Amino acid sequence: MQRDVGTLPLAPALRARLAAAGFQTAQELLDTGPCGLSTEVGISKEEALEVLQVVRQECPGEAARTAGLSRRCTALELLEQEQAQGFIITFCSALDNLLGGGVQLTKITEICGAPGIGKTQLCMQLAVDVQIPECFGGLAGEAVFIDTEGSFMVDRVADIAAACVQHCQLIAEAHQEEDHLKALETFSLESILSHIYYFRCRDYIELLAQVYLLPDFLSEHSKVRLVVIDGIAFPFRHDFEDLSLRTRLLNGLAQQLIIMANDHKAAVVLTNQMTTRIGQSQSTLVPALGESWGHAATVRLIFHWDNNQRLATLYKSPSQKESTIPYHVTPHGFRDVQPPAVTQNTDGTEMNPRKRPRSEEEK
Amino acid sequence: MAAKKLRRAKLSPELCERLGRHQITTCQDFLCLSLLELMKVTGQSYSNVQKLLCKVSLACAPKMQTAYEMKVRRAVNPSSAFLSTSLHGLDKVLHGGVPCGSLTELTSPPGCGKTQFCIMMSVLATLPVSMGGLDGAVIYIDTESAFSAERLVEIAESRFPAYFDSDEKLFSMTRSIHLYRELTCGSVLKRIKSLEEEIISKKVKLIIIDSVASVVRKEFDPKLQGNLTERSNFLAKGASLLKYLAEEFSIPV
Repeated sequence: MQRDVGTLPLAPALRARLAAAGFQTAQELLDTGPCGLSTEVGISKEEALEVLQVVRQECPGEAARTAGLSRRCTALELLEQEQAQGFIITFCSALDNLLGGGVQLTKITEICGAPGIGKTQLCMQLAVDVQIPECFGGLAGEAVFIDTEGSFMVDRVADIAAACVQHCQLIAEAHQEEDHLKALETFSLESILSHIYYFRCRDYIELLAQVYLLPDFLSEHSKVRLVVIDGIAFPFRHDFEDLSLRTRLLNGLAQQLIIMANDHKAAVVLTNQMTTRIGQSQSTLVPALGESWGHAATVRLIFHWDNNQRLATLYKSPSQKESTIPYHVTPHGFRDVQPPAVTQNTDGTEMNPRKRPRSEEEK
Repeated sequence: MAAKKLRRAKLSPELCERLGRHQITTCQDFLCLSLLELMKVTGQSYSNVQKLLCKVSLACAPKMQTAYEMKVRRAVNPSSAFLSTSLHGLDKVLHGGVPCGSLTELTSPPGCGKTQFCIMMSVLATLPVSMGGLDGAVIYIDTESAFSAERLVEIAESRFPAYFDSDEKLFSMTRSIHLYRELTCGSVLKRIKSLEEEIISKKVKLIIIDSVASVVRKEFDPKLQGNLTERSNFLAKGASLLKYLAEEFSIPV
């Protein structure tokens, strides 16, 4: 870096002007930057940039360090990536449409709702759905389930998984394709359950520790496409006197989850509780953990009741419109309110992964 | 788990001493700091601090199990998965009965029979496994002083006359139901905290708290400022303790 300006492979006139301006080492040139260079030496900004690029080429040590860290790509590349990316379907077509195809990978989705409304049900449904083989329109991935509330019931997951396998079997029978039948051999109840990795965290320290260890775990199990944290609010809500510490820990947690979601192309789903905000004359239910936590999730779904109907509202999303849809929780899992129309896809080879032919639901 | 000392997390003794000078002795203190603060305190490089974090996290993090393993465990011991309530309709709706290992809440307007239900469940829990019980002791935390031992005996005799035919059996049943009368929130919490050792020593298989709402309503007036947070703190603390007990010992609460 202490290379003399005179030894750089630049045009002699340029070298003379640099020397006249008083530059002696290459480091000084880099420190000044192109705009400063152009004003001091009296050359145009593009020429100054070229000079700096030459300098960087000649002194590769410094350059390699700064160039490798940027993760930029053009929006076009990102568009191609996003279109090729799959979604995790929820078996409720209205909810899938609401989310634009399903739960997106590399993004954090937050589900808020009052107790008993179906948040854990949806998480369990997603943990099963992420494992659907690719020929049926799924992602053939695995799931990590981090439970802080203890509401994970294995028998219920078994029921949901059995219903999912049955659904795929019906599709395979309707289409009679080679890869469908082959995939069905490996897609069974035992395989679904053995690919759900379950962690029970009892307090926030265990949760923090587990999230620190997750990147290594995900590198070992590279097929994981879904990380569910059921009950991110529970360990942070009680027994926390220092609110600023709580905000700091939550923000750190959110950062790590975003990095993890991007590096391993996984979807992160969090469930949150509701808290009552007491205003002047009325009280409203709002998601818990405060305003600053609201910035952590990319997509926010709020589940609520309307008389006896459960509704899901898309509260925050960068790409979809805000709207509300009804849904049901049946013995088979998460479903639409009415069975969707039967669409037989005659051309079996050309399957858009977002549209799967659905056979009639049996309630 | 959080209060685990760093020494036991396999960190080197000099490092522990150095952290101790900054008042960082437990895993909780260590994990609550950001990476930069940790670098400053330990005087080590970024990658080394990350490795330390992994080591400490390994000491605290829960074990992994797949859903399949859990299912297999439950399938192997089906009687230990539920406590049947002996009401067929209720058992069907609950998929087998009151689930072991989790909290079940019973609510209703006054006079519907909650305390009666609790008394019956206590009788059921003391029955041997062959009759659908859990063959264990019961801890009954009573906050309303509504538990009547005579009613307990009456239920036992009329429901299972064949089993409780001798006084001896009745006595052993009543001896295995441990009743605690707590009248304030603080004492309820203290009692719950002390339950862990009692469960192991007395082979308890069921915990009943009758009722949570009465003691909370008596003490915390929601109109006073600050009481709401105290109340939710108390409830949350109690709930997490009970959940821990339920899961650790696989018993219904």
